[in-house]
Amino acid sequence: MAFSDIDRSVIGREYDRMTYAPIAVEDIVSYARTLGVTDPIYLDEEAARRGPYGGLVAFPTFVVKLRGGMHMPQEVAREMTTGGFDAGKDIELGAPIRPGDVITATSTITELYEKTGRSGSMWFVVFRQHLVNQHGEMVANVDSRMMQRGRTEKEAAR
Amino acid sequence: MTSERSGATFDAVEPGDDLPEIVLELGRDYVKSHATAIGMPFPRFTDDEGARREGLPGQITPGNMTLALLARELLAWAPGGRIRRLGTTFRGLALAGGTVRLLGTVTEKDDERRTVECDVWMETAEGDRCVVGTATVELP
Repeated sequence: MAFSDIDRSVIGREYDRMTYAPIAVEDIVSYARTLGVTDPIYLDEEAARRGPYGGLVAFPTFVVKLRGGMHMPQEVAREMTTGGFDAGKDIELGAPIRPGDVITATSTITELYEKTGRSGSMWFVVFRQHLVNQHGEMVANVDSRMMQRGRTEKEAAR
Repeated sequence: MTSERSGATFDAVEPGDDLPEIVLELGRDYVKSHATAIGMPFPRFTDDEGARREGLPGQITPGNMTLALLARELLAWAPGGRIRRLGTTFRGLALAGGTVRLLGTVTEKDDERRTVECDVWMETAEGDRCVVGTATVELP
């Protein structure tokens, strides 16, 4: 079994769905504070009421915290076992996250591909978390590209 | 031209404009604290020893944090704006304990949507672009 043998029917199939507990004020504030954000619309409920959103909202990249319950479907995770690296991230943002929002994340694989460079082959998996809130509004699509060095035939046979 | 809340405004910006540079120290505690807040308190993000055990030269900054720092750069420039899309490629390691520069430039304007496209990137002290990205920002 190798990366190229992974059944491509996994692409587009929902492999995880998770609904989070209501988003707490503390989560929103802690995210912004530890990032070093100083704009009160992400930190201070009172000040945020006078801001453009009429209340506290999460800093936009808060959405990357909501990664769902299962990182990858089993048949892909089995081949990505040597510790990969985050190669990049694409986020598309919709409705802002507010305290009390109930977010559901559904996860799908959108791409599986291999690239060969000077250091050998690299495997890439792109998975998407589609986030919606309790009103059915799109909050974000978060596409993550994971990369790992391809295994040689000898390694795969072990 | 800027206003107190909105900062950069659509009418005032032009392709070729640079975003104000931010010089930032990626202190070890700072990286650890945010990595923990985003649910990634993994050794590579929390201490040098743990990172070295994973074959890394030392504690590194999570990709998700570098993404967020580029968003911070955009919203420091345009606090009244809304980021509609942000895409990044993590090309190299942003080591904790080092200093980085956050930079950006406006590349396009869309008059209909009142959005701008920006190139944004993070540069190490050695001048390596360890994170590069593009963003779509709606401006007031």
